[in-house]
Amino acid sequence: MVDKKIVKDVTNVIEGLGLNPNPETISILEDVGTNSKIDAIREMTARALVKKNMHDALKVVITNKGKGINDMSTVVAMSTINELLSLEDKSEAMKILEDTVEMHSDEEVRDNARSVKALMALS
Amino acid sequence: MANLSIPSIRERLFNTSKHEQTTQRNSNSTNPFAASSFKGNVLTADVFESSSKKAEQPSFTGKLKASALVGSISGIGEKFHNMIESAKAFGNRMKKWLNRLNEVEISFTPAKEKAVSIFNSAIEKLSTPVSDLIPQGVSAKSVSKMDDMIAVRQLATDKIAMWEAAEI
Repeated sequence: MVDKKIVKDVTNVIEGLGLNPNPETISILEDVGTNSKIDAIREMTARALVKKNMHDALKVVITNKGKGINDMSTVVAMSTINELLSLEDKSEAMKILEDTVEMHSDEEVRDNARSVKALMALS
Repeated sequence: MANLSIPSIRERLFNTSKHEQTTQRNSNSTNPFAASSFKGNVLTADVFESSSKKAEQPSFTGKLKASALVGSISGIGEKFHNMIESAKAFGNRMKKWLNRLNEVEISFTPAKEKAVSIFNSAIEKLSTPVSDLIPQGVSAKSVSKMDDMIAVRQLATDKIAMWEAAEI
């Protein structure tokens, strides 16, 4: 069982990185958070990246296989999609999704992007 | 306007015949009470019942009232007795409570000691620096304002590694 203090600290660090406007925080979240073996950490990281609503941050969770909407964990993927649907300004996310559907090399990533794009168009 | 003085009322009550006025009735009179009442006479005052008669023979309702009065008088004794009994019970309960209060006062002593110890520990804590009392932790606000990205990366790596290590 993980100590509550550790969980609290990790949650605060990821949340703080999401709020920090420095563009370098995106690479920190990608390197440290999205590659974690803990589902909860990957989920928190993906949500923090979506909340940033910046091109590079959204690209991490949309176009990378095994991360964000393409994560192996259904919980992580669904949580990321839910966060994308909650965005007030969806224009940047829609643009990245369109590019992914048209140009990405991996078929599974293209299919996921197409589904999320359809959902976002409906919301 | 009727004369309502006491002598005149008494006169009307006890000398009823005196106040009957004889009236001449026609044979074709339409008065429905002519035959059964006072032979066509009109009463000038209410003389159906005299007060003297009432005094001599108590009516049936009067008897009922009297018996109710007697009953209530006998009930009063019982009620009074009950009141006294309940007052006695209340007094006894008060006495018991007072005894209990004395016992409680004795049992308060450990609580008082505990309160004093809490007070002393609070004073001790007040003398220590605030930074020692508040547990050190990372806040989202502090991370969001950090400019040193190397330190932030290190912090995130360390904290996530601690979680991953705890999961094994």
